[in-house]
Amino acid sequence: MTDYSIKTGKGLGIYASALGAISLVVGLVEISGGWGEIIPGDLFGGFVLLVIAATYLNGVKGVFQGRYEGLSFLVGGLFLTAVFGILYLLMMGAEGLMYLLGEAQALPGIFDLRPEVWILLLSLPLARRVRRLTDGMAW
Amino acid sequence: MDADRVDGSSVEDMASAIAEGRYQAIGEILEAAVVRGERRWTYTDIFDHVFLSRSLGIPIFLTLLWAVFAFTFALSEPLMIIIEEIFGALGEIAGAGISNPQVASFVAGGVFGGLGSVLVFVPPIFLLFFALSILEDSGYMARAAFVMDRLMQSLGLHGRSFIPMMVGFGCSVPAIMAARSIEGEKDRLITTLVIPLISCGARLPVYILIAGAIFGARYAGTAIFSMYLLGVALAIIMALIFRRTLLKGEPSPFILELPAYAVPRAKTTVLHMWARGKWFLIRAGTIIFGTVVIVWFLAAHPWEATAGGEMIENSYIAIIGHGLEPLVRPFGWDWMAAVALLFGLLAKEVVVGTYGILLGVEEGALGESLVALGLFTPLTGFAFMAFVLIYVPCIATIATIFRETNSYRWAAFATAYLIILAFVVSGLIIAIGGLLGFS
Repeated sequence: MTDYSIKTGKGLGIYASALGAISLVVGLVEISGGWGEIIPGDLFGGFVLLVIAATYLNGVKGVFQGRYEGLSFLVGGLFLTAVFGILYLLMMGAEGLMYLLGEAQALPGIFDLRPEVWILLLSLPLARRVRRLTDGMAW
Repeated sequence: MDADRVDGSSVEDMASAIAEGRYQAIGEILEAAVVRGERRWTYTDIFDHVFLSRSLGIPIFLTLLWAVFAFTFALSEPLMIIIEEIFGALGEIAGAGISNPQVASFVAGGVFGGLGSVLVFVPPIFLLFFALSILEDSGYMARAAFVMDRLMQSLGLHGRSFIPMMVGFGCSVPAIMAARSIEGEKDRLITTLVIPLISCGARLPVYILIAGAIFGARYAGTAIFSMYLLGVALAIIMALIFRRTLLKGEPSPFILELPAYAVPRAKTTVLHMWARGKWFLIRAGTIIFGTVVIVWFLAAHPWEATAGGEMIENSYIAIIGHGLEPLVRPFGWDWMAAVALLFGLLAKEVVVGTYGILLGVEEGALGESLVALGLFTPLTGFAFMAFVLIYVPCIATIATIFRETNSYRWAAFATAYLIILAFVVSGLIIAIGGLLGFS
C-alpha cells in the first residue's frame, strides 16, 4: 500500500537524488579546500552539506515506493537546505551592513553567493511539490 | 506489585515500575476505547522520523548547533561595530568635558574601556538566546535531549542530564537548579558537577574577542563552535569518570514526553530571548561594573608611579599579575592573561573588561591590540579560550553548587577539579599543537 502514487514518488525520488548528489559533491569540495572563487573551502560548511546529502539520499528508496517514511527525509533535507540557505543569505546581508559601516572593502554581489544558497534555489520546485503532498497535514 | 518486590527494590526501580504500570494502564484503556483507523501522518511524525533517526539524529543536531553559532557571530558583527562607535563617541565627549584627571581616567579607562568593552557583546548574547529560543519553541530541544540520551545511556549516564546541560548554554546557575528534576541522587550530583563545563553565554564575549582577533571573521564562528563542542565532550567524559569512580552505580530510567512541533511565534521567541538575555545587562550593571572598577583602581594606582594609569607596569595589578605569571607562562600567556583569568573568577565577561583596561584601547581595537602586541598566537589563543571554558565559570555557579548539594565539600571539589582540568586540557592543546607544528 502506498501513501501517494508511485509515479509521483519516482519524480520526487529523481529530484531528491540529484539534490543529494549535488550537495554531496559540493560538500566534499568544501571539505577538501574549495574550488576557486565558486566553492570556498569550509570544513564545517562541507560537513553540513554532507549531512544534507545523507538526509536526501536516505529518503530516495522510500519515496520511490510512494511511502511517507521516504518523504519525511525529503522534508528534513528541504528543511536543512532552507535553514542553511537562509543563514548564508543573512550572513551576506551582514557583510553588506559591514560595507555600509566602512568595515568591508566591497558590497557582496551575486557571485559571492555561497553554493548553499544556489542549492536552496534549486530545491524550491521540490519544496513546492512536497508541500502539495503534505497540504492539510496536522502538526 | 507484590510486597517482596517492592522491599527489595531501589527508589529508582520503583519509580520505573510505577511509570511502566501507568503507561500499561493507559494502553489498555486506549485499546478498549479507541477504534483505530488508517495511520495518518502529521508534521511531527515526519520531522521525528528524520530528527530522531538513529543514523542522522546526532549529525543533524550538530549541524543545527553550528548554524546557531554561525548565525550569532556573523549577524552580531555589524551591530557590535555600531555599539563601539557609540561608546567611542561617548568616551571622547567624556574625556573632553572632565577636568579632574582621576575622574577622567576612571570614566575613560574604567567605564568606557572596561565596562564598554563588555557591553559591546550585548548583540551576540541576545542573538544566541534568540536562536536557542527558536530551537526550544519549535519543540526541537526536547528531541536533542532524546537524541543525546542514546549516546549518554551507552556511556552509562542519565539521559535527563542533557536537558540541564542544554540550559547551561545560557547560564550555569539555572542549569544547576534544573538538575533538581533528576530523580537519582548520584545522577543529579554528576550532572551538577559537569554543568560548569557547558559553555554559558558569559564565555561568549571572550571567545568572540580572541577568536575574532586570531582566526579572523571567516573561521571565528568555527573556532567558537569548537569550544562549545569541547565543553560538551568534556562534560560527557568527566561524567563518565565520576560514574566509574566517585559515584558508582547504574543510571536511573529516563522517561521523556516529546511535545508536538510548532512554528515558533515571534513574540514568544523575543520574550524568551529577553528573559534569558536581561541577566547579562543586570550583571553588567552590578558584578561586572563593580569588578571593572576594582581592576581600574589597581591598574591606575599608585597614581604617581603609574602616571595616572599610563605606565601600567608600575601598577598594583602588574605586581599581582607578575606574581601569578609563572602559572600561565608555560602556555605562552603573560601577566595580563593571569590577572584577566583571576578577575574572571567573579564573572567571565570581566576577562574582556580587564583587557580593555590594561591595554587602554577602544573596544573596536582590542582584538587588533592583542595580536599586534603578540599576546596570543592561534595556538596560545585557542588554549586560552579552552582555559576560559573549563576553569570555574563564576562565583555564582560555585555558590549554587553549594546550595544545591548543601555541601562545602562538593563545591570545593568542583572548583578544584575544574581548575586542574583547565590546566591539563590547555597544556595538552599547547603540547599537541606544538607537535603538529602550530605556533
